[in-house]
Amino acid sequence: MKVSYPHMGYLSLPVYHLLTNLGVEVVAAPPISKKTVDLGSLHSPEGACLPYKITMGNFLESIDQGADTFVTVCGAGKCRLGFYHAIQQLQLSKLKPVEFCTIDVDHLFTGLYHCLQQLAPQAGRLAILKQLAITIKMLKALDDINSAKNFYGSRSDEPDRIIDIAAGSAGKFMDCRTFRDIKIKREQVIESIKLLGEAAGSQPPKVGLVGEFYLLLEPYVNHQVENVLVKQGVEVNKFINTGEWVYANTLLSFLGLYSEEKAYRQQAKPYLNHHVGGEGLKSVGSALWCARHGYDGIIHIYPFGCMPEQVAQYALKNIAQDLEVPLLSLSVDEHSSDVGVLTRLEAFVDCIKRKKKGK
Amino acid sequence: MAVKVGIPQALLYHEFGSLWLDFFQNIGVAAVLSGETNKQIIDRGMALAIDESCIPLKVYLGHTASLLDTCSHIFVPRIAQYYPDNHLCAKLAGLPDIVQNTFRLVKEKIISPNIEDRSAATTLQAIQTICQPLGVSTIDGQQAYYKTLKNWQKAIPPGLSQPPRPKIAVIGHSYIINDVFFNSDIKRKLKSQAVDIITPADLPNKILYEEAKEYRQDIYWQLSLKLAGAVRHFCRQADIAGIILVTSFGCGPDSLVNEYLEHHILKPGNKPYLLLTIDEHTGSAGLITRVEAFWDIVERMLKLEGKLSPHGLS
Repeated sequence: MKVSYPHMGYLSLPVYHLLTNLGVEVVAAPPISKKTVDLGSLHSPEGACLPYKITMGNFLESIDQGADTFVTVCGAGKCRLGFYHAIQQLQLSKLKPVEFCTIDVDHLFTGLYHCLQQLAPQAGRLAILKQLAITIKMLKALDDINSAKNFYGSRSDEPDRIIDIAAGSAGKFMDCRTFRDIKIKREQVIESIKLLGEAAGSQPPKVGLVGEFYLLLEPYVNHQVENVLVKQGVEVNKFINTGEWVYANTLLSFLGLYSEEKAYRQQAKPYLNHHVGGEGLKSVGSALWCARHGYDGIIHIYPFGCMPEQVAQYALKNIAQDLEVPLLSLSVDEHSSDVGVLTRLEAFVDCIKRKKKGK
Repeated sequence: MAVKVGIPQALLYHEFGSLWLDFFQNIGVAAVLSGETNKQIIDRGMALAIDESCIPLKVYLGHTASLLDTCSHIFVPRIAQYYPDNHLCAKLAGLPDIVQNTFRLVKEKIISPNIEDRSAATTLQAIQTICQPLGVSTIDGQQAYYKTLKNWQKAIPPGLSQPPRPKIAVIGHSYIINDVFFNSDIKRKLKSQAVDIITPADLPNKILYEEAKEYRQDIYWQLSLKLAGAVRHFCRQADIAGIILVTSFGCGPDSLVNEYLEHHILKPGNKPYLLLTIDEHTGSAGLITRVEAFWDIVERMLKLEGKLSPHGLS
């Protein structure tokens, strides 16, 4: 059994770490490239959304390297995500007999646990739980590093170096065995980022980044939107962080301490009053929060045709108007180009910088 | 303004319309429909909606706009989920918010009961949401609702009573198949031939869900499940000569479910089938050409099977 999984930003490394430490044979797909996108699009229904096509590309590329079992998710409610595996399996089976190991995102903790048990039947219960905890810790450390990059990068004269440090940091966690290791590594990286960023000085313009989960997390697919903004001296605050999300949706929600829907339903009122699947409610809630907390702009990024984000867009349009916050909506598909996105981001940054100066 | 409830004749109206109309009649409130879709309604909807929205939603907004001036209330129910683990599309779950964000109506003008499950509490709350602004007591509303529901569930689709002729099944979401704007070309073309059209609306829901049982573990959208049931049912009927699956561009569930249906039902089913994708730019000519070509194939197969005279239909 050779296991593979779709790439999603810096989630890939901790997942690799988790699986290999449990004794699973892992075949990591090559990093997402133009080839991945083209290959995935070729084998996907044309109307499917971008995350479907790219994860399909990941699977196809890892099949070439011998993978035969894929880890993916199911059961996401109103959004299409939960139906991916049914179609992807159909399409992949035409090429080679494959197995899918699906994690039910509505019951993430038990779903993850069962999936790992299935993949690593020899591993003990405690080993699985321990590795899971380490993975979550690692993801949270990577979240912190990413936030530090966004914070100090926008204030620094050398944002490129900070971006490089952050990008290289994920690999450093590979040989971590304990919480302590992770904590030390995390502090080292953040310290080196801090050194390069002069925390004093004026407050740079601040932008809230909201939208669909996959698009926010995978830099190749969102055209490096965070780094582009950091380089232009704009502080970005992303409202979806992998580690935090996994932590909240596994442990806390398993213990009944957290319900994503409840948390954001209140925040999104009165613009959106019902859960519409995916991150729709969260996008609206976070955008409204940004608008009320003095952010200089909101960037909404989502795959073309995404159902929940479209509902959110009706609300975001009004939030931008009512609270006078500039809003940039980026609808991304496999034909979007780096240059097209860059041009729009630059124009947007110009706009918010001028607005800030005028205040 | 006298109390008058406007019901946009689009989206789920085509699924539950008769239930809603009877209900309003039973509680003694005047209700009007926005009428059939026309060019003006579509243009208005396109201007109001966000570009990426699917065409049925654009049509819905156009219908809603046409009611605003003449009605004291607009009825926009939020039907998000009825059976457990069986959702409706995100746009239907967010419909009142979409309408509210588009038109920015006063809160009292829009009547939007929430249907999130089939519990009695939800139903009661929904009835209260409808009745309160209309000045009807909730108890009366409740009585009227259960009476209406009973009649609605008992109603049997009219069905076809003509002598058995070859039939073409036209399958798609009811708000596409039953809307004149989408179906007129297809219907006109097929009617000019000696063929009957049958749609999922001609079958009782019970049959459709029964047929779809097998796919329940995969498909979690209620309306898509219904389509799957219809496709499976029609594929197994001997008198169905061909199947046309109509879908709108940008329909999230359909983009994946159609692939599923093709693989699991249509391809093994051995009947000619056609997938038609419709959007607001679809010209009649393109649509007619494809339906014509499809009919040519169906006709040939019927002749080979001896179900039509070799001299054609004319």
